[in-house]
Amino acid sequence: MAGIEAVLLLALQAILSGVLVGGVYGILSVGLSLAFGVMRIVNFAHGELVMYGMYAGVIASRNFGIDPLLILPLSFLLVALVGVAQYQIVFRHFVGHATLQQLLAAIGCALVLQMIAQIIFGADARTATSMFTGQYVVFGPFFLSQAQIVAFIVAVAATLGVELLLRATTWGKAVRAVADDLEAAEVVGVNSRIINIGAFALACGLAGLAGTVLVTYFPTSPSVGFSLMPIIIIATTIGGLGSIGGTFLGGIFCGIIQQVTAMMWNSALQDVPLYVLLLLFIAFRPTGFFGVRSE
Amino acid sequence: MEAPATMSAIPAAPAAASRMPTRSLLYLFLPVVVVAILPLLPFVNNYIIAATVRALIFISLGQAWNIVAGIGGQLSLGHSVFLGLGCYTTGILFNRYGVPPWIGGFIAMLLSLAVALVMGSMTLRMRGVFFALATVAVSLALVQLSRHFVDLTGGADGLALKFVGNSLWAMQSRTPAPFLYAALAFVIVYYWITRALLTSSFGLAMQAVRDDEVAAAAAGVAVFRTKLLGFLLSAAMTSLAAVLYLQFYMAIDPEAAFGLSQAIQLQLPALLGGLGTALGPVIGGALMIFLSEVTNWGSTKIGVEGLDILVYGLMLLIVILRAPSGIVGLVFKNAVSGGPR
Repeated sequence: MAGIEAVLLLALQAILSGVLVGGVYGILSVGLSLAFGVMRIVNFAHGELVMYGMYAGVIASRNFGIDPLLILPLSFLLVALVGVAQYQIVFRHFVGHATLQQLLAAIGCALVLQMIAQIIFGADARTATSMFTGQYVVFGPFFLSQAQIVAFIVAVAATLGVELLLRATTWGKAVRAVADDLEAAEVVGVNSRIINIGAFALACGLAGLAGTVLVTYFPTSPSVGFSLMPIIIIATTIGGLGSIGGTFLGGIFCGIIQQVTAMMWNSALQDVPLYVLLLLFIAFRPTGFFGVRSE
Repeated sequence: MEAPATMSAIPAAPAAASRMPTRSLLYLFLPVVVVAILPLLPFVNNYIIAATVRALIFISLGQAWNIVAGIGGQLSLGHSVFLGLGCYTTGILFNRYGVPPWIGGFIAMLLSLAVALVMGSMTLRMRGVFFALATVAVSLALVQLSRHFVDLTGGADGLALKFVGNSLWAMQSRTPAPFLYAALAFVIVYYWITRALLTSSFGLAMQAVRDDEVAAAAAGVAVFRTKLLGFLLSAAMTSLAAVLYLQFYMAIDPEAAFGLSQAIQLQLPALLGGLGTALGPVIGGALMIFLSEVTNWGSTKIGVEGLDILVYGLMLLIVILRAPSGIVGLVFKNAVSGGPR
């Protein structure tokens, strides 16, 4: 059998593209994890925010002929604003408790945001093209999408940026202080309300940025949020709710498992092993690899 | 043994639920009579009957979800899992093997119980969020699986029940009126189960766990077992009501079975009406179907799809932010179990 070498090559190819898509799953999930880590808010509308980021890319590309990658800061800002509105209207009532009501309110937000998008953009799937869309790199025996490579690079850069922001700046220290102990942070002069709004805006902006990167190789539609949400939840849980770096690695882990399943078993069932993993993690290690203590 | 301890944990609920005077029973009896004689009324057509059946079906489904979430406090976000399992199992057994839904429904219920047992025993030891995430994950996994196994489920197009004409054996009817009575029976039984549960020692244990797990455990409630049994009961009830759903709609597809939007429709009756009350899902379910009829009419009028989902989302937000104990909580302040409001 000439099998073993071919299988190994296929496995390597699967792992390589798994790392690439996984990096994007990572950046898709980092915002969710951040909002949970700081405010114990599980934003089920996170996928919808990603969707708005994707539409920002579509509009830039189709209506203005601008490369979606050039508007990353803009889509970060726009979706961060959507996030601030969401926080002011809904989530500020639930800071500190991931209660039944909070989860349901988040679902309500998701439905509303999704339907607003459907009314504005229509129900059809839309695509955007960047200068890398549809280009491939041949790398030895491997075949990699340029759009995915660029998306991976952006994802790594953004995650490192957030880590840096949280670890090296005064603002980041204040955010971590509020996350650790809200009352103690207030005592030493941190305005937790402002910090929370800022952290939530950052979390949502990241979703927008991730969406705009994603749309360079993945089509969008109003319901795309619901279809991305499982992967986001799984990456976050496996990596660890509340841990930025952990969540990013969780995304890569998911990407690898998904791509290996797709290429070596069955692409229609590519997510099923992930669901099984999620259940196992929830049962035996709910904080994931690097998660914060969950209440 | 654990009953007396939990009794003292929540004194308000049993008092409110059991002190139901005869006059209130009359008020409850009246709508039942109105629904029962609906087909005899002159101005009532099949459209109105069908809408009423839809409302009754969602009241039953909402009542079932209310048990795990409203009384038990466990947020089963993906409760559509059991609706889908009920529909698909019953439908596949009927289409392929000619098993009537009378038997198929019970096989489906056993399957739902098995799935709930596995899900529950893996995730219910954790607090809230993780159980919610797990139920969502299972429901979305089932969407994918039911799309994939085309031979069995009909794939993304779904499964249409073989129509055999009017038949009690196959639970099929050309007119909606028979379903009206079947659905009404479901609503009455489920309402009665919820009422009985609210005052039973098991129901009190569930509410104690909902309100404060640590305190409940300290008072001698077996927290995990209580959560699990509540989840199983709710799953079984959802799965049985799913039989009615399938026989009435005659078709099921992956999104309608397991999708998140469907899961939300299972939650809205209890949320709108009043979580943790027996009357809440009844009022909320009726309101939900009324709203969906109005918005569907509005959708076609202005040519925008999905208005009903938008309205559901807005209702969800308004209720949670402005009236967390639902309509029942606004009307009868002391009817809401648990909590001061």
